[in-house]
Amino acid sequence: MIEVQDLHKAFKARTGLVRAVDGVSFTARDGLITGLLGPNGAGKTTTLRMLYTLMRPDRGRVGIDGRDAVKEAAAVRRSLGVLPDARGVYKRLSARENITYFGRLHGLDDRTIRERTARLVTALGMEDFIDRQAEGFSQGQRTKTAIARALVHDPKNVILDEPTNGLDVMTTRGLRDFLLALKAQGRCVILSSHIMQEVALLCDHIVIIARGKVMAQGSADELRLLSGEQNLEDAFVRLIGSEEGLSA
Amino acid sequence: MSTLWTVMRKELLDLFRDRRTLVLALLMGPLLFPLLILGMGSLAESRARTQLESTLELPVIGADHAPNLVAFLDTHNIRAIDPPEDPAAAIREQAYEVILQIPADYPAQWRGSRPAVVEVLYDSSRQDSRIPVSRVENALRIYSRQVATLRLLSRGVDPSLGEAVMPGRRDLSTPEARRGMVLAFLPYLLILSAFLGGAYLVIDITAGERERQSLEPLLATPSSREAIMSGKIAAACAFGMLSLLLILFSFKLSFQFAGSGPFRGVDVSFAAMGRLLAILAPMVLIGTTLLTLIAASVKSVKEAQSYMSVLMLLPIIPTVILLVSPVKSELWMFAVPFLAQNQAILMVLRAETIAPLQWLVYAGAGCGLGLVLWLIAARLYHREKLAISA
Repeated sequence: MIEVQDLHKAFKARTGLVRAVDGVSFTARDGLITGLLGPNGAGKTTTLRMLYTLMRPDRGRVGIDGRDAVKEAAAVRRSLGVLPDARGVYKRLSARENITYFGRLHGLDDRTIRERTARLVTALGMEDFIDRQAEGFSQGQRTKTAIARALVHDPKNVILDEPTNGLDVMTTRGLRDFLLALKAQGRCVILSSHIMQEVALLCDHIVIIARGKVMAQGSADELRLLSGEQNLEDAFVRLIGSEEGLSA
Repeated sequence: MSTLWTVMRKELLDLFRDRRTLVLALLMGPLLFPLLILGMGSLAESRARTQLESTLELPVIGADHAPNLVAFLDTHNIRAIDPPEDPAAAIREQAYEVILQIPADYPAQWRGSRPAVVEVLYDSSRQDSRIPVSRVENALRIYSRQVATLRLLSRGVDPSLGEAVMPGRRDLSTPEARRGMVLAFLPYLLILSAFLGGAYLVIDITAGERERQSLEPLLATPSSREAIMSGKIAAACAFGMLSLLLILFSFKLSFQFAGSGPFRGVDVSFAAMGRLLAILAPMVLIGTTLLTLIAASVKSVKEAQSYMSVLMLLPIIPTVILLVSPVKSELWMFAVPFLAQNQAILMVLRAETIAPLQWLVYAGAGCGLGLVLWLIAARLYHREKLAISA
């Protein structure tokens, strides 16, 4: 379970202080998929970075399974599987070597890594390219490699920044099934997206973020009810208060 | 520790997959440096030999005033030729290295047994003129002494009365040390290779990895940042040592096979090579940690690379200082980076022994500086900005 309370983060820019995240609170429960939905630049990635301990919040608290993300950063990282916005797959290593490298950094022995890799390869459909060097991988192959790498230590909580970004329809469908399987295994899954349909199809709990603030949260039905709109897209526009950065 | 080992192995694997870069980084030095040194050495030697042994064509102004002198010069392989119109301009335009001027009052002075002035025109700022000028001056000195001796004898005076003190020289330098003088620039090449040999790799695995955005997932693993950084530093040090090993081996081979020339007899035994490697090891550590520090503090690879031109100058400083004002080797020097390496390498090449205390100071100062740089770099690795590339 991931609990976020009143998170704040500001950056110094040439034009002055930019409040990237300005009071975000939500709770992501185990066995559910929580989606952060918002236009580009809404503060989704910054929020997630604070969840996976890469950034320190200026104010507020992140609790992962009851542990504080700032005070117990190493323990928190151990219980997290992270797919960052930048996939960062090593080009000169094969997909398998990429996964093995991260498995070792998590302190796993080679046998466990082999077994987990085999399971992830089947689940994600990576058989064709698992032993190929990542140079020249398609976007989908890169994303799958990065996801497998993030999950090799079998984490309880999974954080995915825009997992379907740049993927074709078939890959997106496959990935959706994979995420639903993670949910069925009782994991706590958080993903961010700027694509409404995506979030509506997958997420049990939707947190709408714009300009660093939570504009509304709830299930898709609750959000429709809240905005008084039948169509979720209209609901989204109404809730964020503008049409900026909206894309399908 | 296992993280360090894992990261180190991955970085080396990653590097060794990049064949072309690897070949360029590892083989350029070992192939080029010996060529450079041996080529320059033999060029300088063959030039000196031709200048020393060939007939020197010397323009003489007023050769008619001193036919005896001209004839004497001829016996010393210096042939008088007609002078140019404007001697000063000819020297400046480098048409001649040296011109001899015999004034019109030379015969009168000569006959009166007074010192007869002759002038040697040359440009002291030209390296090239050094040997011809000294040949001419030497010949003039011999001629002067011969004639003076004859004059004294003809007056019934013992010529040795004219020499109150006769300085004799005994050169106590070892033959290895004399050859070592030719090798003044060898320490620079070695120190530079040790200092910046792994630069490409170091910058790539910190600043490059950040730019390729793969540092973010790496730092999101539970491994400590110190361990990850140390693994990267260890990989770069291993690579630097390998590249040094190849360079030293190529020096050894080329010095051994350079049958003649000024490099004969330079100490290139395996023991000496081992000592050189031990001397350069702290330099590899210092270079790698310094570059890691720089790479972790800059925004991009490009910015990190712009530090390189300054860093390349650092090892020159002691070489230049020693060249301009050679100083006695003292213990404190073994604590100053670059100067210490310079001194130690020269001592090995001159087949001198480095005392245990000197080794101790050397290793302590080198590794100490490496440790300090490591600590600063580790602090920089904890900065929030490091992981965030976009």
